[in-house]
Amino acid sequence: AVVSTQSGHYGRGVLHSLTMLMSLAGRPLCRLTRQAIKPIIPTLSQVSHLSSGSPVTHWKAERYVSVLTFGAIIGAAAYPCLAVDHSLAILIPLHTHWGIEQILTDYVHGKATSKICQVLLYVCTGLTIISLLYFNQHDIGITQGIKDLWNIKQRDPAELH
Amino acid sequence: SSGINAEWPLRPGSNMALLRGAICRLPKHNTIRVFSSTSEYKVPGTAEFFEKQKNLGRPMSPHLTIYKLQLTSGLSISHRITGAGYGALLYGFALLTVTPQGFSHWINLAETYAPGNGLMFAAKTIVLFPLMYHTVNGFRHLFWDLGKNLKIDQVYSTGKITVAISLLLTLAMVAAL
Repeated sequence: AVVSTQSGHYGRGVLHSLTMLMSLAGRPLCRLTRQAIKPIIPTLSQVSHLSSGSPVTHWKAERYVSVLTFGAIIGAAAYPCLAVDHSLAILIPLHTHWGIEQILTDYVHGKATSKICQVLLYVCTGLTIISLLYFNQHDIGITQGIKDLWNIKQRDPAELH
Repeated sequence: SSGINAEWPLRPGSNMALLRGAICRLPKHNTIRVFSSTSEYKVPGTAEFFEKQKNLGRPMSPHLTIYKLQLTSGLSISHRITGAGYGALLYGFALLTVTPQGFSHWINLAETYAPGNGLMFAAKTIVLFPLMYHTVNGFRHLFWDLGKNLKIDQVYSTGKITVAISLLLTLAMVAAL
């Protein structure tokens, strides 16, 4: 707020000096204070994350997970097994989650809607990981599931009768 | 309040003082303003800044509607769209696996309504191409992150190679598998 005061008889000296100081150095002081407290106060993008680590670490993790995901897919094609299925069940949703999180950060503005979308995404990813792990353990597994989808073929009419 | 950030005392008669006097009313010598504002509305990028700008209701210059789509921007947005599309497919696949009917039920359902070989070939190409493109372009992104191929001519050439490789890989995989 901008306060405009007229000098009175008493306390004129103190008020005068203080306001002269603020009018001269107010803006730089504000800027310095803001810079000082910035590392402590989380920024808007960090507020919507459940745990805020260093953004550099996050960036590196994104790249490593991308490479690992590709490796896991090659592994699933070459040596399909439960371990590869489980790693796929974690890596693919993780990679997808981080990708969609970036999309949300870029295009969804507003504190409330952004927060809601982030939470929804966490819920979806969590449910996906749980579903896929269960599918691996108690059903055919991701690799076989994709193979089944790929091999969908029109049924021969002779077979049906 | 004045529109000029004149923070320093102005020498009477100086050019700046004349300019300031011409543009805005000088405060009386015994009327002092205290800038104790900590509001963020002047700081670009903050939520308050966006809110204030929205309230001002200013028209925005056209951007997406007038800027010509180039290979660089086209491939970039395609990388994002294919990634998001496959994300949706992933969440849908996970949903199918935990339905009470079971995953095999949906496979059988698809097989009863599956079209012939030609259409299946086309469908597989359409479904696989975005994945191949996203993978190959993903490696292009990783090369950038390592600092390689950042010059604009390299960006264009690697971009064209990306599209070519994705198409070849897709056709090869659909034909072979």
